[in-house]
Amino acid sequence: MSKPHYDREHHVKKATGIGDPQCFKGEAGPPKFKVGDKVRVRDLPDIFYSRTQVYTRGAEATVAELVYESPAPEDEAWDNTENVVWFYSLIFKQKDLWPDYPDAFANDTLETELPERWLEPL
Amino acid sequence: MAEKHKPAPMVEEVSEFEVLEIAVRELAIEKGLFTAEDHQRWTEYMHTLGPLPAARLVAKAWLDPEFKKLAVEDGVKASLEVGIDWVNSMPTHFGTPSDYCNLRVLEDTPKLKHVVVCTLCSCYPRPILGQSPEWYRTPNYRRRLVRWPRQVLAEFGLQLPDDVEVRVEDSNQKSRFIVLPVRPEGTEGWSEDQLAEIVTRDCLIGVATPKPGKTANDPRPVRPAVNPYHH
Repeated sequence: MSKPHYDREHHVKKATGIGDPQCFKGEAGPPKFKVGDKVRVRDLPDIFYSRTQVYTRGAEATVAELVYESPAPEDEAWDNTENVVWFYSLIFKQKDLWPDYPDAFANDTLETELPERWLEPL
Repeated sequence: MAEKHKPAPMVEEVSEFEVLEIAVRELAIEKGLFTAEDHQRWTEYMHTLGPLPAARLVAKAWLDPEFKKLAVEDGVKASLEVGIDWVNSMPTHFGTPSDYCNLRVLEDTPKLKHVVVCTLCSCYPRPILGQSPEWYRTPNYRRRLVRWPRQVLAEFGLQLPDDVEVRVEDSNQKSRFIVLPVRPEGTEGWSEDQLAEIVTRDCLIGVATPKPGKTANDPRPVRPAVNPYHH
């Protein structure tokens, strides 16, 4: 029986001298959302690993910027770099995240980045 | 009298994480993934990093509108002008694993104040800011800043008017962030060197604003939390 070969250096070879996330540029295909779009963060089940904060789930946000293309953390944590997706910088109203956020500071916001698969159009 | 002046022990306690780091490092060296010399070189490199290049970047942006535009659009390219190469630096040459290579420079305005946190761990733009301060890594700061930003900023001595929008940047994917604060009054005609001096690490994280004459971070006394976190 031969030992299965697994290339543990595939990421190093790809990213050296180019940078991560730059090395995934052009792999995600056309983005689903554009700047200014209203989206909602999906409340997907996460098994083992996720970087989608629970406090953002189900909340509305506005796309501020398309930041880069990269595998989502749920995949990358297992070294799966095949499904590259767009990452969006999103702006949330604090009031939408925390119902008891004081009305006096209704303008306050929070910005964070999320992969496309976690977003649905509003 | 002599008792009082006994030198403190160099290492009070080695944490489990430090033991784990040593074990993994030694295994990696035995396995030939890197050599002890490599490790020493990387460690020394990490200790050379600090917030000065980021302060310089802000000072340049204040003086040169074209550079400010570049900094906001492409932080990695702008970093090259202050001597920081995000991509081709040790140890990995594709962004040290937890820093990646996507620096975003967040521009404050008189009506918008950014402040950076990483709620999931302690992501920090180390190539341009050095090692994060201890408080930045505490669960206290990470949990409470997203929830009660104004209270936390007030604990840092930064009280903002109601009509200023506070924008918390939760840095938990592949971008790293520094804040480009508003240039303070009283700095007209200053040179780049003079301006860079007042851009402290705390200003670059966003928990302070630059002031003429203030060239150091405030000490951080430990105070009870206003809204302590309960499970």
